Amino acid sequence: MKNDIKKYPFTAIVGQERMKLALILNVINPFLGGVLIRGEKGTAKSTAVRSLADMLPERPQVEGCRFSCSPLQQETLCSECAEKLANQKRLNTISSKMKVIDLPVSATEDRVVGTLDIEYAIKKGEKKFEPGILAQANRNILYVDEVNLLDDHVVDILLDSAAMGINTIEREGISFSHPARFTLVGTMNPEEGDLRPQLLDRFGLVVDVAGENDTAQRVEVIKRRLAYEKEPVAFCCSYAGEQSAVAEKINMAKERLPRVSFEDELLEMAARISIALGVDGHRADIVMIKTAMTIAAFNGKEKAGKDELREAAAYVLPHRMRRKPFDDSQMGTDSIEEMIGRILDSGE
Amino acid sequence: MAQDRTGYPFAAVVGQDAVKKALIWNLINPHIGGVLISGEKGTAKSTLVRGINCIAPDVCLVELPLNVTEDRLCGNINFEHAVKYGEKRFEDGILKHAHGNVLYVDEVNLLSDHIVKTLLESASSGINVVEREGISYRHPSRFVLAGSMNPEEGCLRPQFLDRFGLYVEVCSEQDSRIRAEIIRRRVEYERDPAAFCLKWQEESERLRSDIRRAKAALARIEVTANAMQLAASMAREGNCAGHRAELVIVETAKAIAALDFRVAINISDIKEAAKYALPHRTREKQTPPPYSQPQQEPQEEQELQEQQQQQEPQEEPVASGDDRQDHPREQSKKDHSNAGQDDRSDPNNQDDQESDQEQEGAEGQNELIDLPEESFIVSRWLKDTGIHTVQKGSGKRSLVKTSSRQGRYVRYRYPINQDLQDIAFDATLRAAALHQAAREKNGRAVAVETSDIRVKVREKRTGNTIIFVVDASGSMGANKRMKAVKGAILSLLNDAYQKRDKVGMIAFKNHSAELLLGITRSVEMAEKKLASLPTGGRTPLAAGLNLAYEIVKASRVKDKDILPVIVLISDGRATYCERGRDAFGEAVAAGQRIGAEKIKSIVIDTDESYIKLNLSEKLAKSMNADRFVIDDLRAQNLVAAVSLSV
Repeated sequence: MKNDIKKYPFTAIVGQERMKLALILNVINPFLGGVLIRGEKGTAKSTAVRSLADMLPERPQVEGCRFSCSPLQQETLCSECAEKLANQKRLNTISSKMKVIDLPVSATEDRVVGTLDIEYAIKKGEKKFEPGILAQANRNILYVDEVNLLDDHVVDILLDSAAMGINTIEREGISFSHPARFTLVGTMNPEEGDLRPQLLDRFGLVVDVAGENDTAQRVEVIKRRLAYEKEPVAFCCSYAGEQSAVAEKINMAKERLPRVSFEDELLEMAARISIALGVDGHRADIVMIKTAMTIAAFNGKEKAGKDELREAAAYVLPHRMRRKPFDDSQMGTDSIEEMIGRILDSGE
Repeated sequence: MAQDRTGYPFAAVVGQDAVKKALIWNLINPHIGGVLISGEKGTAKSTLVRGINCIAPDVCLVELPLNVTEDRLCGNINFEHAVKYGEKRFEDGILKHAHGNVLYVDEVNLLSDHIVKTLLESASSGINVVEREGISYRHPSRFVLAGSMNPEEGCLRPQFLDRFGLYVEVCSEQDSRIRAEIIRRRVEYERDPAAFCLKWQEESERLRSDIRRAKAALARIEVTANAMQLAASMAREGNCAGHRAELVIVETAKAIAALDFRVAINISDIKEAAKYALPHRTREKQTPPPYSQPQQEPQEEQELQEQQQQQEPQEEPVASGDDRQDHPREQSKKDHSNAGQDDRSDPNNQDDQESDQEQEGAEGQNELIDLPEESFIVSRWLKDTGIHTVQKGSGKRSLVKTSSRQGRYVRYRYPINQDLQDIAFDATLRAAALHQAAREKNGRAVAVETSDIRVKVREKRTGNTIIFVVDASGSMGANKRMKAVKGAILSLLNDAYQKRDKVGMIAFKNHSAELLLGITRSVEMAEKKLASLPTGGRTPLAAGLNLAYEIVKASRVKDKDILPVIVLISDGRATYCERGRDAFGEAVAAGQRIGAEKIKSIVIDTDESYIKLNLSEKLAKSMNADRFVIDDLRAQNLVAAVSLSV
């Protein structure tokens, strides 16, 4: 068995453009709040996430840090790294790739947030924090499959940490906190039940996926998969060019993002869209603008305008529209687009 | 925990003046007793509370995470010290850190009941008494309690509600220009938090010095007898329990006056204070308690109170329970435009109509399909079914202690019957810590013995499995009754959706009952079935109840831990039975079977005819069920419903 089995290339995934873009946007700007992917099984959700992480270049990381701290961002160092820095005046760095950390459905709280290191306590008689999944997830992607089946209080913890960027533990004799900045990707099959509206709102973007309907596309999916399984290395090589092009585009976007600006009136348009669609609270507005800015950055532009806003709205609004849970919950994307179009065009 | 110097500045939050005032007053005068902020998501609730750090002169914010365990809340024995020196030493818990500060609980309605109890004890006595793990310790614990919640997620118990001095409701801004400003500021902040905070530093400083000045001036504020009387009468008008309300009003008014450079309280201070101090304590029917109608504005309520004051202040408040029950029903019957609009004064007319429809239905021809009417917010119609031991489930309605390893670990206990599953390691180690001097350690620092072992107690909320048994006979279709009924069921389904219950649906008409929807979590499917349910034909009530019984038995076989509830929606006029002639008698017998199995049931009476046969009452009795009429379910009539369900 080969040790480094080549992952299926991100750019080789057929279709699913919206899902791919949503993931890319979150990698460029981790403050968007993650992606919720709703849809049936077998639509490349897991493949897309893992291959995206694989495609990204390595980045610097503090050697030996349990929380994968970044040596470049001193404000977000964990307490251990901060101490090391203060004592030794420098931190050893290594290079590593972004990882995808899985959170299983049966995860219990203590494994998620971390707990007392019992072994250490028994051997040395001292309290030490044993990191949980949130610690591993720092600066990585946290992939939660079937997020709607997770215990409510575990989802609470997850979303709290994702929003605050910090995991605070006050339990089981431990009082500790550490950075927990991760890209949250959740998947769910809506037929099995929905997430609480409160939790839905905390996901930045949402994408509804379905299998390809076009026969030609479906054939292409099979063809590519078979080709990959037959000769993984050759298959991956054939996509190497596209892969590095996209990776480069992502990198440039990250650099461009802080410079992206927008016209003032864009804000008001965003506000009017939210009001018209009956969205609760202000998170949607804020995420819409941030997403529009990220889209602009990805497309090489330094200004976010109506087109970017229009595109952003399609990702940011569908799961937030206030409705009694029983109005045909997917207000046809067409009618949303119509309404948005009207507001944007009239806002001259 | 380190103070976050780059949190979003309090002063930079757009609008939400009511919340800001409530927080500022509490910082000026800690005797007010804290504030509860309730409202939809994304309205800066937690941002504002966390922003206190910028403007509080000498007070910090201590946060209580939702998943806190009891030992960290109260404090426990210092493990390391015990191991090294064999001595007991107290390790501070959150309650110690909170003393003299502000304790903030986000999503306070999701807090574990046990933690709430512990919090309340300290909050009311001002002392934290620790008697656990071999230590006995007490320390003062006086803090300002701040909480935020989203009422969609569930309500707060009355005792806990009362604990909060003030109450504020928030909602999102509807003016697009103000919303635009909100976005602008947030985006600017996220781009460069440090610079943004610097920009707002002057404003924050100003606020901080205002608070400091007002705090110092507080002692000199004069409270006249008039003011106290006004506060007391307002509290009485609001029918508030106990005397806390007037005290809070007075303390708040003091803070208002102090902030305003005055030395005496005036009437408008009291009135303003009342707007914040009364909403969650009021028990009158016109101003529904906060957890039922989030749209209530404090202003509206103030006008109401002024109105009341202008009327004879000697007027006795509506005291008798009976009065209260009849009154709301009458009121809402006027609102209830759709049902019973035809003259009720002519019962013959109505009965004719009904039997006509039944006949037609029997021939399978004229079946009516009514669309549901508007759904409403539901009151607490399903009382908690008490505490059971259940294996699994992830709903929210009933609190259960679970013996599986899921659920929140909140505290621990001694193991029972040598059952050493699910060990609480931290507690076990602490128990072992003290005895180290006397034990063989074999190279370890801590030797653990069986007597030290403690096990976890986990809590989990489990939803019910609600089976709707809907009367779809012709008599239900009469007078648009079905429309109202469907509206009611929709509202209950809505409630079930929020509480994460499972639902199933049975409909009965003509000669039989049919399982429309097997038990499912998908409340949406229930809605679809409901909307397309036709009415027509006779009323085979017994068949409906029997089918429900069978379904419950079958589900119990599959999963003995479910909490089933049968909800019968009918007017009770059984007109068809399988054997014999007594349709109603058969129905009662079926009901008795259900009651005998101790299956929790509820009967919703839709009978609105002039001549009340009280059939549903008899039926409810046979099933040992609670009985409601549709109007009872409406949140407006919370007072009546609360007394029924709690």
